Amino acid sequence: MKKRIFGIETEYGLLVKDNNDNDFRLDPMEIANKIKNHIFSKNLGVLDLHYRANDEPPGNGGFLLNGGRLYLDMGHLEYASPECSNLVDLITFDRAGDTLIQEAVEELGWADNVSFIKNNVDLETNATFGCHENYLVGRGFPFDERENLKLLSSFLTTRQIYCGAGRIGSCDPHPFRDWDGVSPQEVPDEQVDFQISQRADHIPNEFYRWVQYNRAIVNTRDEPLSDPSKYRRIHLLVGDSTMSEFATAMKMGTTTLILEIMQLGVAKKEWILADSVQSMRSISRDQEFKWNVTLASGAQSTALELQLDMLDTCKKHLAGTNAETDWILENWESVLTDLPKGPEAVLGRVDWASKYWMLSEFKNEENLDWHDPWLKSLDLEYHNLNKESGLFWGLEASGDGYRKTTDAAVDHAKFNPPRGTRAQGRGELIKLLINKHSHMSYLIDWIGFRLNKTDDPFLMLDPFITYKEDVIEHMKQFESGYSPASENAEDKPFRESHKKGHDE
Amino acid sequence: MEMNDPLRREEKKESSPDRDKSGPSSPDTSRPGRDNLLKRMKKVDPKQSEKYKQRTGQ
Repeated sequence: MKKRIFGIETEYGLLVKDNNDNDFRLDPMEIANKIKNHIFSKNLGVLDLHYRANDEPPGNGGFLLNGGRLYLDMGHLEYASPECSNLVDLITFDRAGDTLIQEAVEELGWADNVSFIKNNVDLETNATFGCHENYLVGRGFPFDERENLKLLSSFLTTRQIYCGAGRIGSCDPHPFRDWDGVSPQEVPDEQVDFQISQRADHIPNEFYRWVQYNRAIVNTRDEPLSDPSKYRRIHLLVGDSTMSEFATAMKMGTTTLILEIMQLGVAKKEWILADSVQSMRSISRDQEFKWNVTLASGAQSTALELQLDMLDTCKKHLAGTNAETDWILENWESVLTDLPKGPEAVLGRVDWASKYWMLSEFKNEENLDWHDPWLKSLDLEYHNLNKESGLFWGLEASGDGYRKTTDAAVDHAKFNPPRGTRAQGRGELIKLLINKHSHMSYLIDWIGFRLNKTDDPFLMLDPFITYKEDVIEHMKQFESGYSPASENAEDKPFRESHKKGHDE
Repeated sequence: MEMNDPLRREEKKESSPDRDKSGPSSPDTSRPGRDNLLKRMKKVDPKQSEKYKQRTGQ
């Protein structure tokens, strides 16, 4: 499969500040609900009218004009980007979600009281919440072969050296349950000053299908959200939420290249680690950033050496495929080359290194210990969506941010879907429901929609098709005075596979 | 990079001037923007981490 589709789902943390404002008494769940409702009240999307699951009642969330989705999930406000066909779109629409939420905070006058934190851990309670990555692959992708899963696991375990968001301290969770086929390790508690990944401590398994407990490096759930005979959605939960646009692009870009060489059958068995789960943790916690690993063969290597070899293999087989691939290869090489020079060499490009450098500067300036609560508070503040106070934005303001999109593009992406995927048709549907058909009932999901009880389901099973023109045509029947020229009740058009909106 | 929207473009801001220097052990205290970052950090409530109570999600 030559073309790509990506998506990112982000669960946000929410901090209610104590500003001696006695009038502000909302709890985090109330705030998240009001923020969500405020966004939909601005006609930026339509709230669900139906149950999606037992824990998703009507009004719990909805689809947005940009084709993405905003909802409450397990105590968190969550934004799922629309399906994007390239990395620039993906970064743009990821940032658009952040911006929608932060703007709602400011419009409600809560900027001094409420902060949305784009991270993955509560440093006090060790609660964790995710940033999930989605990659569309063909159904023939060799995902059921254990050796391939182990190759993917090796890559995901070692990519944290440039994809990690970093955190102070550690969490030593004990395994929730010893499921069949998995063997979570008992890890002795250990004191850690700083580690490069937020999620590493919360991943006790190499492969598993569930997403809340016993999280795995490779999530094996098969939920394609598209035609299951054609596609599979690789859904990963091992990664950190990244603030740097470069880091997000590298996280998604390098992973898609690895999937492509796995598809080609040229990924090397020599990359397989002896114990990915143990390596995930030891790499993340290595205070000297040497990142040693033991391979399944028994040989010693490092995460950096493995990544360099993976890069070389991708260059050999994928260089010149298209401009996006070449951008990924070039920047993958640059970041791997610069990492050994120290955190300052990758400021703005690698979140853990940027955070580590900033906190180290502050720690030395104030003569603090790594476990001082102030440093933990700064760790959180790195991820604050508020550009006036968030530390990452200070880094970007000082010229150390590496941007792949622009503020103008992000602004555009709040109201418009990306082009070239079915998100375009979904965005068109939302726009028509808001502007022309606000009286209609609807049921919308990633794979299609149904309007009114008498309407046939409109399936959107191919994420590579925009469906835009078909959606517009379909909606015409609901306009007043519409008189179909050649349709009758027995001859309703089949609304999948005969697509005029196909972009190919 | 294929870009679908003319509004979108890649933008590389000023790269760090000291790519060849090494290590967290020798931070460049004259780095542009460092002082502004420190000022921003000093404004952060030292206790806010204790108020950040999150539920486990996915």
